Amino acid sequence: MQADERRGVDRDNQKPTLVRSLKKSALTFGSMAPMFLGIMGLVGLIQVLVSPRDLAALFRGNPLLDTLTGTVAGAVASGNPVVSYLLGGELQQQGVALYAVTAFILSWVTLGFVHLPVEAAMLGRRFTVYRNVLAFVFTMLIAVATTLTMRFVS
Amino acid sequence: MTGEKGGRRTRLRGIPFFLLVATAYTILFFHDRNQALLALHRGGTILVRILPVLVVVILFTGLVNYLLRPGQIVKHLGKGSGLRGWLIALMAGVISHGPMYVWYPMIQDLRSQGTRDGLIVAFLYARAIKVPFLPLMIDYFGLGFTLVLSCYILLGSFIQGWIMELLSEPGRRAG
Repeated sequence: MQADERRGVDRDNQKPTLVRSLKKSALTFGSMAPMFLGIMGLVGLIQVLVSPRDLAALFRGNPLLDTLTGTVAGAVASGNPVVSYLLGGELQQQGVALYAVTAFILSWVTLGFVHLPVEAAMLGRRFTVYRNVLAFVFTMLIAVATTLTMRFVS
Repeated sequence: MTGEKGGRRTRLRGIPFFLLVATAYTILFFHDRNQALLALHRGGTILVRILPVLVVVILFTGLVNYLLRPGQIVKHLGKGSGLRGWLIALMAGVISHGPMYVWYPMIQDLRSQGTRDGLIVAFLYARAIKVPFLPLMIDYFGLGFTLVLSCYILLGSFIQGWIMELLSEPGRRAG
């Protein structure tokens, strides 16, 4: 029984011990340290190299194109959701349509070009492609639906 | 790169990606030292901010592995989990915190134990509703906008998960 406990298995019910489960979990995350550090480094680079003014210059006033631009911009940029609200508010004040702003703040948290290599490595390429294509399309649809609903309601 | 742990070798993952980012920093450092240092500082700030979340996720993953056997996970999140599975996935997505990538190891673990891909897709999209930041969103965009968007996010999460179920062929796990 003691030998089993050392191995982390409770032989009575063949269940891993809590210590072993936590150790396994910590090791899994520890093995991903280079990925996590890479993502954080990349996010830092993007935040410094892309200014809000650069972002606003991407929008041209065409609702459909701007929704697409908002989705792509939100997917490229990354970070705390609060930052997306601040940037979204700033974009709206500069006259960018609600379609695009909604797409931007939504894709900020649901898509992440920066995370793609990690997602593919952890969850598989096929899953990653399907999930991201679905999220991309639905972000645009939800942005349009939200804006139209708001117009209808007000 | 590897270590002997508990009789199993643990391999560090993502080293080429990390080296690529490090190279980008090196190039930027020689081009514009201040920007490189500022980017490094921003990256470090993110690391400090997500560390507590990371600890919580590690503990949570460990606890799930300890408390639930694969059979139980399949019962709640696998084939046949029905409406309960969808509700668990959507609720977990809404209350989960931190960046998406922090959750990948746990999701990988759950998938290997039989969790449906559709539920994972729904979980990941429902994370767009950030409960702690809702007051801020209401302040910026209004209550009506926040409510409408949140409803569409939940609906969209479910539909995406459902489509993912259709795309995932039986017996052939995505990936």
